[in-house]
Amino acid sequence: MRDIGIIFKREFQSYFYSPIAYVFSIIFIFLNTSIYMFHFFLLGNADMRSFFSTLPLVLGIIFIPAISMRLWSEEKKLGTIELLLTLPIKTEYIVLGKYLAGFAFYLIALAGTFTIPILLVILGRPDFGPIIGGYLGAILLGGFFMSIGIFISSFFEDQIVSLIITSLVCGFITLIGWQYVPMLIDGWIPGLGTFLDKYIGVSRHFNDIERGVLDIKSFIYFLSFTMLFLYLNVKILERRKY
Amino acid sequence: MIEFNNISKNYGLTKALDNVSFSVKKGEIIGFVGPNGAGKTTAMKIITTYTAPSGGTAKVGDYDVQNNPLKVRELIGYLPEAVPLYDEMLVSEYLEFIGNSRHMNGKLKKRYDWVVQACGLENMLDRKIGVLSKGFRQRTCLAQALIHDPEVLILDEPTSGLDPIQIISIRNMIKELAQEKTVILSTHILPEVSNISDRILVINKGKLVADGTFQELIQQVSKYSSIYIAVQTNKKDFENAIKDISEIKDITYDHSTKRGVTGAHLYYSGKIDMTEKLNELIQENKWKVVEFHPEKLSLENTFIRLTQSNESEKQAETKGE
Repeated sequence: MRDIGIIFKREFQSYFYSPIAYVFSIIFIFLNTSIYMFHFFLLGNADMRSFFSTLPLVLGIIFIPAISMRLWSEEKKLGTIELLLTLPIKTEYIVLGKYLAGFAFYLIALAGTFTIPILLVILGRPDFGPIIGGYLGAILLGGFFMSIGIFISSFFEDQIVSLIITSLVCGFITLIGWQYVPMLIDGWIPGLGTFLDKYIGVSRHFNDIERGVLDIKSFIYFLSFTMLFLYLNVKILERRKY
Repeated sequence: MIEFNNISKNYGLTKALDNVSFSVKKGEIIGFVGPNGAGKTTAMKIITTYTAPSGGTAKVGDYDVQNNPLKVRELIGYLPEAVPLYDEMLVSEYLEFIGNSRHMNGKLKKRYDWVVQACGLENMLDRKIGVLSKGFRQRTCLAQALIHDPEVLILDEPTSGLDPIQIISIRNMIKELAQEKTVILSTHILPEVSNISDRILVINKGKLVADGTFQELIQQVSKYSSIYIAVQTNKKDFENAIKDISEIKDITYDHSTKRGVTGAHLYYSGKIDMTEKLNELIQENKWKVVEFHPEKLSLENTFIRLTQSNESEKQAETKGE
């Protein structure tokens, strides 16, 4: 446990040295709240439906890839991966420490959007159920995307390549369950769209939790996929093929 | 302390190490010498468990690098060639991070003070690593390798890119440290390790070509000399003519000569008078001489060339039999 803490601390601190992380956090908060405010004024409802409906795309395509890209890619570029992997710390702990640091940074950015519920409390009487459900979903979703991001970044020395590939992968698993997309895919290849949406797509599970349907299946989906990618990350590093 | 048994390492089709075996006793200082790309770094990466070998087994202390990497890592202090540093950290933060990662707990304070002083980093502790000069970066990284008082020190090109004064100070430091530790350091400059190492291992093209003390290596090398010759003829005729001189151990052709001129470095056993033999050959063939002079090659180049040509000769002989 202490080892995870040591790695976490260094990794987490280094986020605050990097201008990229700040820039993307501001973009993240600004983009989400501004899209939301547009709907808010249009519909005038004291809820966060529109916020949580755009969140998966913003997270998967922009924000998580931007903060997960450096986790291994930067170490590879600087050569510090050689230092890190020759320390007497288990690879699992290193991966976990790094992952948690990225995740914690995401949680801080997510906390930056608390302005919206605060605003809603001041202006109206919102139903807290869906809001809490939405944030719970956002935490699970962010953790899942982060595990994809750290896994992908362990393959590339170039952060931009990591960013683009993570963005494509996360974008794909979000979009295959996005609104009418499954039906569209079914139109080309019958059954495929439904299949992808049901077994791989993230939107169905996220929407369930956001609506307050706390199905155990959704939790298993998020947690097992997150652990799978972290496990694969450890295995990739332990092959020691450099 | 360190044992290599038939270690091979392939990168795709390239053989970075080819069946290398050696062992290092406790307290010995070993110099790895060889040209760039010879396999020195790969061998070090295997010892430090960063890279897994493709074949063979390696042990550090009583632990196998494949089966027990964590135990091996505890024994080793490693200065990689790439000088891995986190630019945004302060020197003090960096050393503390390494100390904590190495589970030093209570011992950290004492060792930290010692290592800062030994590496001359007293005035640099509050600086960001990113702004340090190359020499101080190297020292910071060396401090990192020493902080946990390791039994084995692996130093990959510890003096590369440093100015002569820094080279001397690092060299002296290694000498001091080496009294109680097992040290392996690599360089492509043979004389550099000559006065620190107990033993020198020469590696070339993934193979161990020589293993011995500096004096032993010198004796072998000084038996050989080299001459450069360039004459106006084509390569084929030159090759045919030169074949008759059996004393020539090895030839490398010079590809930078003008058209119609063949140039070559000839390596031969030092006791015979090669100039005379070559003169005869030139007269016989009525070659016009463009260049003709004895050469002083760097020690390691001569060494690698000759040890190799000796080996290929031996192989040829055994095949002939």
